[in-house]
Amino acid sequence: MNAVEVGIIRVTSSCKGCDHCTSICATGAISGEMGEKHHIDLKKCISCGQCLINCPFSAIEDTSMVDTVKRALADPDLFVVVQEAPAVRVALGEEFGLAPGTNVKGKMYAALRRLGFDRVYDTEFAADLTIMEEGTELIHRVFKHLGVAGFEHAGPLPQFTSCCPAWIKYAEDKFPDLLPHISSAKSPQQMFGPIAKTYAAQKLNVHPTKMFVVSVMPCTAKKYECNRPEMMASGYKDVDAVITTRELAAIIKEAGIDFVNLPDETADNLVGLSTGAATIFGTTGGVMEAALRTAYELLSGQTLGKVELHNVRGLKPVREATIDIPIKDLGRTLPVNVCVVTGIKHVDGVIEEVLAGRSPYHFIEVMNCPGGCVNGGGQPIRRDTY
Amino acid sequence: MVSILAEKGGITRRQFFKGAGVLAVVAVVAGVFAKIGIDMFKVSDDYIAKRAAGLYTLDEKMAIRKSHENPEIIQLYKDFLSPGEVKPMTEKAHHLLHTRYGQDIPALLEELRHYQGEAA
Repeated sequence: MNAVEVGIIRVTSSCKGCDHCTSICATGAISGEMGEKHHIDLKKCISCGQCLINCPFSAIEDTSMVDTVKRALADPDLFVVVQEAPAVRVALGEEFGLAPGTNVKGKMYAALRRLGFDRVYDTEFAADLTIMEEGTELIHRVFKHLGVAGFEHAGPLPQFTSCCPAWIKYAEDKFPDLLPHISSAKSPQQMFGPIAKTYAAQKLNVHPTKMFVVSVMPCTAKKYECNRPEMMASGYKDVDAVITTRELAAIIKEAGIDFVNLPDETADNLVGLSTGAATIFGTTGGVMEAALRTAYELLSGQTLGKVELHNVRGLKPVREATIDIPIKDLGRTLPVNVCVVTGIKHVDGVIEEVLAGRSPYHFIEVMNCPGGCVNGGGQPIRRDTY
Repeated sequence: MVSILAEKGGITRRQFFKGAGVLAVVAVVAGVFAKIGIDMFKVSDDYIAKRAAGLYTLDEKMAIRKSHENPEIIQLYKDFLSPGEVKPMTEKAHHLLHTRYGQDIPALLEELRHYQGEAA
């Protein structure tokens, strides 16, 4: 039985029945009488872990793959590679007494090497790859919409982002008619897996059956995502195991590594190099901004002078902006309307407009967690907020 | 308190002051809890904003800030996904990097099996 069937999030016997989680859960998956242990309906749960990080009694836990990772690291026959999501590097330090937002990227790479990973790569490389595929897909959909010949098979507008596995499950469960609008591009985590087990394995001369791919994620839903049955494009399970930011911190402490005094190191090359566009994937509006930086340059043939797009930033749950993009091939300028949604509770209105054919947008980013992956269900828990 | 509210035959002056006092205490306590709630919300927003600011600062420090300029991405396309050029959405990219959702999953699984049978 795999984690897709048993679920990722569980309520433990420490539950006091305070009912706080039922107000956090966006899908109504948690129920229970006041004062009694609550229960999660796995059919409704999207594995986002927001209930877990907001539980005042630490009574909710997620499935751990830490033992699997430790066994892989201890196995001399396995070549173990690791990728880390953008949001991990600005929160991992909190588990070692550093302030929220402290960049510990270099120390994170150094710690992973000391834990015995054979190659330390970066999910940000795969985020750049996501932009290449998802950005091109968006351009195809826009061309189809404008009636340009040769793009008849592209999908409908608006295009929704596909990086967030909790959002994907939410849409699959609640809005099946919306699915053609969601980008077919896989999330960065699931792009990294098959590239590692095909391209990187060939270059490194490692047989894919001997390669073990680990992800460090700010997210509990990534554990669900890696276990989806179709995530085996390489011919093998693309991502073998996922651990959260919290779990990585625990492993580092257990290994006796003096994290804050580690030197800053860099990621291994081949599939480890990243850009600023990939870094901002970890926050709400970041995927949109990264996609627009690339789409603008590819469509206009011009270099973007100022790369920051401040009007898609911020923490407001629903934000919108219009960016005028000169399209070189068509000799005209297109006002591209974009929308950013953070916190899945705010998405239904936007979806209903799309299904009714009234949506003014070309591209819509959705992240389940309020604030994006930086506030994911796998991030350090802020006890100081209670 | 309930007995005061449920008094049927009108209330005395003394009972009125007693009731008003109880209500005042309830109002103050509710106010204090509401304030705590607002502070909790602010603190929670604060650490999220700080983590986000950390990423934006990191972006500003990066030598390359656009995905299509990543040399390892360009290499991946030229060597593997679209030999000799940088061309997203090739058949190979479609097979490895794209997916389907909901009811389309069984057909995708069938395609993956077929593709791997051919590759083997």
